[in-house]
Amino acid sequence: MAEGAVQAGSRAPLDRGALLQLLGLGLAGVVGLGALLAVLALWTGSGAADGVDAATGTVTLALSEEPPQLDATRTTDQVSGRILGHVMEGLLRYDARNRLVPGVAESWEIGETSASFRLRADAVWSNGEPITAHDFIFAWRKALDPANASQYAFILYPLKNGEAINRGQLPPSALAARADGDRTLVVELERPVPYFAKLLAFPTYFPINETFYRSREGRYAADAEDLLYNGPFTIARWVHGASVRLEKNQRYWNADAIRLNAIDYAYITSDANASLNFYKDGKIAMTGLNSENLRDALQNRWNIRRFTDGSVFFMEFNYREGRLTRNWHLRRAMQLVNDPAELVYKVIKVPGNLPGASLFPVWLKGVRGYFRQEYPAPTTRVNEAEARRHLQLAKEQLGLTEMPPLVMLTGDSDSANKQSEYYQNVFKRRLGLDIKIDRQIFKQRLAKMTSGEFDIVMAGWGPDYDDPMTFGDLFASWNENNRGRYANAELDAAVDTARSSMDPKVRMDAMAEVQRILHEDAVVLVNYERGSVYVANPQLKGVVRRAVGTDPDFTHAWIEAPGQPSDLAATEHPSAEAEGHAGG
Amino acid sequence: MSEADMTTGTGVPSFAPVPTSATEAQVISRPSLSYWQDAWRRLKANRRALISLWIVVGLLLFTVFGPFVWRVDPDDQDLDQISKPLGPASVATVATAFEPWAGVYNTLGPLPDTSVAADRLLAPAELVAVGEATTQAVRLSWQPNRTAPGASGWRVYRNLYHPAPDHALGLPVGEILNPAETGFEDRLDLEPRRYFYSVLALDAWGAESSDYITLSVDVKRVITADEAVAKGLADDALELAPGDSVELAFHPLGTDYLGRDMLARLMHGARVSLFIGIVASFVYVAFGILYGAAAGFAGGRVDQLLMRFADFVVALPFLLFMILFRILFGVESGDSGIAPMLVAMVLLSWPATARLVRGQILQIREEGYVGAARLLGARSAWLVMRHMIPNTMGVILVTLTFAVPSAIFTEAFLSFIGMGVAPPTPSWGSMCNEGLKTMLTTPHELIAPALFISITVLAFNLLGDGLRDALDARMRSTE
Repeated sequence: MAEGAVQAGSRAPLDRGALLQLLGLGLAGVVGLGALLAVLALWTGSGAADGVDAATGTVTLALSEEPPQLDATRTTDQVSGRILGHVMEGLLRYDARNRLVPGVAESWEIGETSASFRLRADAVWSNGEPITAHDFIFAWRKALDPANASQYAFILYPLKNGEAINRGQLPPSALAARADGDRTLVVELERPVPYFAKLLAFPTYFPINETFYRSREGRYAADAEDLLYNGPFTIARWVHGASVRLEKNQRYWNADAIRLNAIDYAYITSDANASLNFYKDGKIAMTGLNSENLRDALQNRWNIRRFTDGSVFFMEFNYREGRLTRNWHLRRAMQLVNDPAELVYKVIKVPGNLPGASLFPVWLKGVRGYFRQEYPAPTTRVNEAEARRHLQLAKEQLGLTEMPPLVMLTGDSDSANKQSEYYQNVFKRRLGLDIKIDRQIFKQRLAKMTSGEFDIVMAGWGPDYDDPMTFGDLFASWNENNRGRYANAELDAAVDTARSSMDPKVRMDAMAEVQRILHEDAVVLVNYERGSVYVANPQLKGVVRRAVGTDPDFTHAWIEAPGQPSDLAATEHPSAEAEGHAGG
Repeated sequence: MSEADMTTGTGVPSFAPVPTSATEAQVISRPSLSYWQDAWRRLKANRRALISLWIVVGLLLFTVFGPFVWRVDPDDQDLDQISKPLGPASVATVATAFEPWAGVYNTLGPLPDTSVAADRLLAPAELVAVGEATTQAVRLSWQPNRTAPGASGWRVYRNLYHPAPDHALGLPVGEILNPAETGFEDRLDLEPRRYFYSVLALDAWGAESSDYITLSVDVKRVITADEAVAKGLADDALELAPGDSVELAFHPLGTDYLGRDMLARLMHGARVSLFIGIVASFVYVAFGILYGAAAGFAGGRVDQLLMRFADFVVALPFLLFMILFRILFGVESGDSGIAPMLVAMVLLSWPATARLVRGQILQIREEGYVGAARLLGARSAWLVMRHMIPNTMGVILVTLTFAVPSAIFTEAFLSFIGMGVAPPTPSWGSMCNEGLKTMLTTPHELIAPALFISITVLAFNLLGDGLRDALDARMRSTE
């Protein structure tokens, strides 16, 4: 035993020493890290938010991704739409207060089945050539040409023969749009389209200069110099994957009204935290906040703004042959345990999101006021007992003793993960239903949605134009975006009524009918209307956020020189403000 | 007996039977130690290794018996206590069930006037809380300003701090586009604390009045009787009267981003991590031993062939094969990726052990006792199993203790990048991945699983280190 003691004696000091050393190192590491974090916090906290340069009229921002497609006839995504909305212009455009105002067209006349536009004489391309009616006709024919494979060709279907051209039944030259001289554009419509004017601001309706397009030999819109601009800005520099810089277009017909000289998208990052750090460091003028950063933003006493982006998120069922989700009782059971308020207030936790009640979001206009105020959405209250009864009926109808797991297809973002895990638990806890979560990247999810490899899919829909129809026809049997292949003659009839009438009352009644069917047949479970909160440099003024159209829109923005009063510290009502404080 | 004695030759014969007392002198005074006893003795002397051993034992107990002691469902979402840091249980007051609120409508209120711009609007008046402010809802009501009418809507802000010095109103929790609606119900992520609500007027274009009114509200944590029963906090809803206090579910290590108990998740996550760590490493080490022993014993051309194949396997990229196995197994994105992970690990990780064992066998093959056994007619299988592999045991055990942490680490990494377990099953790696997103606001969600991974890997490594010292026969002879 003596030997053992000796050995222990010879080893113990070594151990103790090593332990002490380790402890010391660990302590030093922790203290060092803490000090570093503290320094960083101080440094970033005190750094004045910048990202704007009043002297040069430049605002610096970050993009979430490289614009995937700047060819207006083929673009589908928001980032490209955001750039295109600044560098191009259609016949009409939206102003700072979201009203339709003249764009390239200085005047227009829209009848039931025809429309004519008078183009302004001073509208020119960035190479100095005037914009003519032929440029519009060329772009529209291009977008409808099946060879162009534009996913948004359907938005041109109101034009006479548009759909037939897109299906390859007629040549593109059959499009019923003609130029009456260079400055008059006359189009015929397939049927009366009450919201036709609202479509004209959409990128697919933008003009393209034919000579320039042909000169690019298939490289059109591939680079900054492969595009011809007619909007308030031009792309001055485009470093792929790194930055996009827009500069004021001096040849724009309304250049005098544009107050910014440059919009510099100096960073391209999809990481919300990276973007927030850029903002903290004063490198960019605007950034979104996620639920984890809200407390930080409050501590920094930033001026937080909210924005409801207009899109609606929902769970869509698969109605293909052989799917369990074809069963109404099963869908109804799931509808009865879905509590969108809990999702929005406890799980998503970002102001601006609204608990979903209807596929038609609250901001849509109805006959006179808001659609949802005129036609309140049917409501469902959570009722577990009733839900279980429906589930039992579903099992009986399907001849099953046990429900097999349902596949829930979802995206791979943080928020999609959180929501799908929340719903997995909701259906398990309240109904005993097993859900398998199938996480996929956007493209793969879209492919699986198209091929129908899902039972439930968490999807969303953003508006293309400012009319309830942009949501209303989503579940019409002929709609390509009806991924679950839902088919209901009653709903189709209501959509048809709304499409063919010019009377707002008839149209909105029909849309309300669609709203009723969607709820009663449990076609979709609406989760939430998406919103977000963001912070922006207080010097940056006049930025327009909107649900339909270019967002965020810097066309009418300006930079206030430092020292001038900011919006909340306005000095107009000093006494009233004091009164306001007294209430606190 | 010294040499001097033998050379004296004085009557005493040079060689004589040894007296019995001399044999007694050679009796070993200490108990004899077998190889294993000696190894254990030396391991015990190594404090680092011993502590690690206890940690490993503790981890196994934590994993195997933990869930029987801490009977909390790891998938259960306690949405009232999301991302709760570690600490004592909170207490809530029993309240009546949540009833939707009709809101406040001011029918006598002035009509909106689209011609009034925001800079001419004033804040509403008489901002008050309606009813009790609880974590279910905070209900506010106000009156339109009579001196500056024409507001088209209202916006409600909420802050944790007083907005006074620099007009930081905080979070825009609500927006009302109807001027007659002069009430707002806030239900967004309410915590039991003081909030400062500010309300201001909007013009027809959504621009804000610079003037605002602020109200501070103290929110009380509540729970309904039905919720308390559903969560197992009370036996009978009838026993609870509004106003009673109920202790909410206790989460010793806090909760994650969906209110799931961290301790229960760590225990269940350890099952996956340790299962992979132990099963995968045992299987591939066992295969490596057999393969290496065969190669080493056979020698020559067979050895060359076998070892070149091992080299080939070493060159195969693990991640790629992991993905290929997923496809081969038909693993959909919603299924657990544990089986293909196990297969990929076993199929691709054995060569290291095989090489080590082969080297040892090549050495042992030339030892005298092997030759002796062979001369005595031992068969090859006997030679390998009885003489050679036991003599490589030290190397093997060390390999194994190093294989376990590396397998745990691989599992954690693969789950971290989303190729491991399927939700809602937790694993330490996937928990780290989830915790990383909220690292700055609720660090406990990342620190707990990361600490467990680190401690486990460190403990296994230190134990392996200690075992190597303890099992090394050469070190034994030096002492």
